[in-house]
Amino acid sequence: MNSQKIISIIVLVLSTIAILACLVINFDTWIVYAVAMFGIPAWILSLGLLTMAKPKPEDAEERIKEPFTGY
Amino acid sequence: MNLMANILIQVIIAFLAGSLLLGLHRKIMARVQRRPGPPIIQHLLHSLKFFFKETGFPKTASKPFYIGITFILALIWIVGVIAGPVAHDSLLILFGVYAVYKIVEHNSGSSSGSPYGKLSCVRAVLSAATELPLFAAIIFVYLVTGTMNIGEIIAYQSVHGPLIFSIPLAALMFFMLIITKSPYSPFAITKDKVLISGFETEHYGLLRGFMHFSESIAWYVMLWVFLTIFFGPLTAVGYLVGMIVITFITGFINATTPIFSPNHSVMTQITVGAICFFGTILMIFTGVVA
Repeated sequence: MNSQKIISIIVLVLSTIAILACLVINFDTWIVYAVAMFGIPAWILSLGLLTMAKPKPEDAEERIKEPFTGY
Repeated sequence: MNLMANILIQVIIAFLAGSLLLGLHRKIMARVQRRPGPPIIQHLLHSLKFFFKETGFPKTASKPFYIGITFILALIWIVGVIAGPVAHDSLLILFGVYAVYKIVEHNSGSSSGSPYGKLSCVRAVLSAATELPLFAAIIFVYLVTGTMNIGEIIAYQSVHGPLIFSIPLAALMFFMLIITKSPYSPFAITKDKVLISGFETEHYGLLRGFMHFSESIAWYVMLWVFLTIFFGPLTAVGYLVGMIVITFITGFINATTPIFSPNHSVMTQITVGAICFFGTILMIFTGVVA
């Protein structure tokens, strides 16, 4: 499992717990704002990184070795 | 209602309404140009479709920065939702959101390493001229109402009537910002087609879908703020009608106006801003504004 996947899983779990906690418990306003500001984008991004389509094994090499045209 | 539930509902409304309004905007542009155009729901479908697409990362990109900037883009517009529709907080926070948005445009362009992104990033600095009329408009709202708080501005208007009638030129300055931020705007020099998609060029797949999510929220928040601070207390139907009308107007303008060159864009914005600024000062000092 690569580091991107591990980090995404950790962020997804933490943000889900934080958002659910704010839904269930009435924290101070500033805590809820902080969780919303960081938790919602983190939840969406980590979910996206985990669910996005991956290249087929036979195409994976091609993606990495795609010729760099240079700028 | 629980605060987090309120925020989540507002974010979802902002995303769905913003997506549909941007779809409507594209449809209007197409019809003005005698094209059938995509269905109104297309922008929403694109956002969802991109979200699950395969995403690669360019070799030239600074990866944490390249991904992180999309996170910051979403973060600032969620701050916009919180400061606006949720908390009715200070206009200065929203001005801060626009200021950071400019930084996002700049850094999104530079993080990919693409020349198109880099050129767009340079233009983002030039187009900071957009924020000057916005700041001036906020100052005038403060001078007339004596507050920066959106809730108090709404209360002021419920007593004295909508601000659009007392400081119309300040409203025009804010409207300039809306035109500038609308898709295919004549002032959208950071997304000029000669730069492909400007600072978004190298953000594709999931990251583009994520940026679409943020931009839909941005469009909703922008229209919400404009309607709230210039048209007073509105019902949900009032907001809906107002947002559709503004989307129609910007769609017509953008469909019939070619994009300006960067220097013309900046000079036009500054000129309109200056005329409205001095015009509003004149109105205040001659007693036209009560």
